[in-house]
Amino acid sequence: MKKRFIKWGIIIILSGLIIGGGIIFYMFNQPHRNIQAITSDYQMKASTLVKDYLTDATLANEKYLQDDGESKIITVTGTIASITEDLNQQQVVLLKGKNEKAGVSCTFTSETNGNTKNLKIGETVTIKGVIRSGAGYDEDLELYEDVILEKCDVVNN
Amino acid sequence: MKKIIFTIGITGILALTLAFTTLTVNKLVSKAGHINFFSHTAIEDITADNFKVVSTLDTETGIVVYSVPMQGFEFEKALMQKHYNSSKFLDTKKFPKAKFKGKIMNITDINFDKEGTYNATVKGEMTLHGVTKAITETAVITIKGNKVIVETKLKLTLSDYNINFKKGKPSTNIAKTIDVTSKSEYIKED
Repeated sequence: MKKRFIKWGIIIILSGLIIGGGIIFYMFNQPHRNIQAITSDYQMKASTLVKDYLTDATLANEKYLQDDGESKIITVTGTIASITEDLNQQQVVLLKGKNEKAGVSCTFTSETNGNTKNLKIGETVTIKGVIRSGAGYDEDLELYEDVILEKCDVVNN
Repeated sequence: MKKIIFTIGITGILALTLAFTTLTVNKLVSKAGHINFFSHTAIEDITADNFKVVSTLDTETGIVVYSVPMQGFEFEKALMQKHYNSSKFLDTKKFPKAKFKGKIMNITDINFDKEGTYNATVKGEMTLHGVTKAITETAVITIKGNKVIVETKLKLTLSDYNINFKKGKPSTNIAKTIDVTSKSEYIKED
């Protein structure tokens, strides 16, 4: 009777350790969020997102940034002002109207880079990505910084 | 009367041209610079990259400004990235941008019209995690074709910027002083 009790005790403790260890191992090695597979938190015009920041940056940061860095996933629609490449060979599509002070800079990934191929300057496009920082005038740079979205892809309507 | 209007017109055009040339000609802008940081301890090496650095370089005055969107640092492990962003570490929601503004002290030694590699001494202020510190660092400036490339490598002591880990894993796994390398490319407009 006593032996059986010990046996079961050991089994329970061992399985507890394995499950606990597994959870810790998973937590430690958890993959990055797959931005494109997650539903957007917001869907809006690129100019509306910029306006939110130019009106009140503190309020906008409160709304769009998360304190663990897993900030809001946003789908924006706007006019393509430029298409460039960054030092990581990622395509960067800037959505900005002609008379706007700042735009939304959308950085693609090695997986999604190809989807910018058919985009043309002046076209209207819808892009989904995760926000990294907001727009605003920087008096040291003496220029307007754009909203930065990363992990972007084109959204097909 | 005609003459007066003509004079005013010409003066206006001249003034405008002058205003625009002094404002735009010397200032180079890069919106996609790269910053990497690297922490080495006996236990593990941690590295993160950011390709969204905005910077300006005034080839006349030598004034350089860097603006770094802090949530743009990408780590290999998602959990590490979460820790880095959290209020215990860099608190990137409260301090979404880091900034460096400084001046290349030997700007006259650098000939932006002549290809080559130049060493620059940069003196300025770094603002990180809400703390501003005076720093002096060296940079290498390479002029090649229509490109100006600025590269720096500096050491940053985390406790200088109020980033302290006293207990647990972070205090043993994160170096007290980390290596920061940056590279920005500018296109000359001429």
